Amino acid sequence: MAKHPSSGKYAIVGLGVVAGPQPGRSERMIAAEAARLAMEDAGLTRDDIDGAIDLRRSGGGGDRASYSDPFTRVLGLKNNYYFTCGRGGALAGLGMAAAMSFIDRGISNHVMLMGAVTDWSQAQESRKKGFRGMAHTEKRGYWGKPLGDSRAVSHHSWMAARHMAVYGTTSPQLGAISVAQRQWACMNPEAKMYGRPMTIEDHQNSPWVVEPYHLFDMSQVSDGGVAFILTTAERARDLRRDPVYVIGQGFSEVSADLWWEKKNFTHMAVEPAKTQAFGQADVTLEDVDCAQFYDCFTGEVLFQIEDYGWCKKGEGGAFVEDGNMAPGGTIPINTSGGLLSCYHLGDLTGLAESVRQIRGECGERQIEDCEVVLTTGHGGELVSPGMCSIHTCTLLGKHA
Amino acid sequence: MSQSPHVLTVTDEWKKPRPSIDEDNAEFWEALTQHKLLVWKCKTCGEVYWPKSYCKNHENEPFAEECEWVEASGRGKLFAFNIHHWAFHPGFKEEVPYYYALIELDEGPLISSQLVGDVMPPNIHTVGQTVEIVYEDHPNEGFTLPKFRIIDG
Repeated sequence: MAKHPSSGKYAIVGLGVVAGPQPGRSERMIAAEAARLAMEDAGLTRDDIDGAIDLRRSGGGGDRASYSDPFTRVLGLKNNYYFTCGRGGALAGLGMAAAMSFIDRGISNHVMLMGAVTDWSQAQESRKKGFRGMAHTEKRGYWGKPLGDSRAVSHHSWMAARHMAVYGTTSPQLGAISVAQRQWACMNPEAKMYGRPMTIEDHQNSPWVVEPYHLFDMSQVSDGGVAFILTTAERARDLRRDPVYVIGQGFSEVSADLWWEKKNFTHMAVEPAKTQAFGQADVTLEDVDCAQFYDCFTGEVLFQIEDYGWCKKGEGGAFVEDGNMAPGGTIPINTSGGLLSCYHLGDLTGLAESVRQIRGECGERQIEDCEVVLTTGHGGELVSPGMCSIHTCTLLGKHA
Repeated sequence: MSQSPHVLTVTDEWKKPRPSIDEDNAEFWEALTQHKLLVWKCKTCGEVYWPKSYCKNHENEPFAEECEWVEASGRGKLFAFNIHHWAFHPGFKEEVPYYYALIELDEGPLISSQLVGDVMPPNIHTVGQTVEIVYEDHPNEGFTLPKFRIIDG
């Protein structure tokens, strides 16, 4: 096999992160600030940014980031185009694919990609009205609302439940995922759960929210924003920071066959996306130094470990129980703490951590000689009664 | 609340989200009020769908041309379930914990709803029980919700 001509042709050259609760700040101001930080990081100015993509967690969950005044105007960017892009928790991967097309055709030199949310602040407000979780994202029009299908956990938890019924996976095994990610978060000062270690007992003692999910099987609700800038590999070499190359990307859909085969409750649509991305980059699983999986719930992490092939289907529980994804394990996974323990900015959480790992900026949690990182996204519509979701697979590399 | 084996009548004020009824499922919801569960069937090959879909077995077939709603048996197997301990919507506060289940209908498709009745699955690993539909009528609201009960528990 040989690399695809597109592998290593584009690079991430700037990263901006606004993390932690942002009470009193609008989404657009968080967005603009994340974008400014990304420009500062890259050593670029407003005049350099000639395209902008606003990454939105729209789709099945609702159009949660909706403001009429784009962050680009607030910040004073001089971009030629601006549009929104995203599907559930799959935003960064899709946005990058679009951005690379614009760069490839000479329409842009530097594309700003940015996603911001104020879910945490808004959830505080809806709580006062008797709702729990993200009531502001509620979308009319799906099957289960009158039947008690109220939140993502109402139907995502079937994935863990079905896996448990078919393969005998246990709640403490899911807890091992949560504990491993908390161990990573305790080495990440930016993580919400920094300084708050957790044990399996803590996981088991956390309240049932929707059994088989305890509270600690669920991702957080966060405020914040992540922005990053894509350009050509050639241009990247002249800029301030070491380039982080996009070496492979692939996409696949649950509705292709998993949905019809009813396998979407034990499998994610990994295979085609993995084949595309790993083929472009001409790498194998052994080349991956760490993985940043989309982890809305612990079950999704378990599925991806199996579906990518780090262990066989059904053996993920034992694999995580043995500490394989934790610090010191065979394949470090979600080294920032992930959506479970760092912050929930969709797949931008994993994207930001991937860039930092390749740059070698991760301090105590830095993976030694980190050259290839796998980062994924996941999201879609709630179709009666399951979910149709996209899986996005992005490989980033230290070398083109 | 009056009760017969397959029908529950609820006249309490409805404080939960209403069913989402649109052009694609209006017939389905209408049939529920007549205590019929409909599934979408291809007349050519017999493949059964829920919700409404093009038949995946035939190319270039205009939508709904060779498909129709047919009455299902109302029986199936428990495929997976969860137990909601939190009421995310205030309308469910009196109901938690409730069992929300995926049902594999005997005709093939999956449908989801709440489990009702006296028998609940003993643990998360135990699925495959036979279930049967219970029509929960809401005469004041004009709709019927399809719920399911375990009959071989």
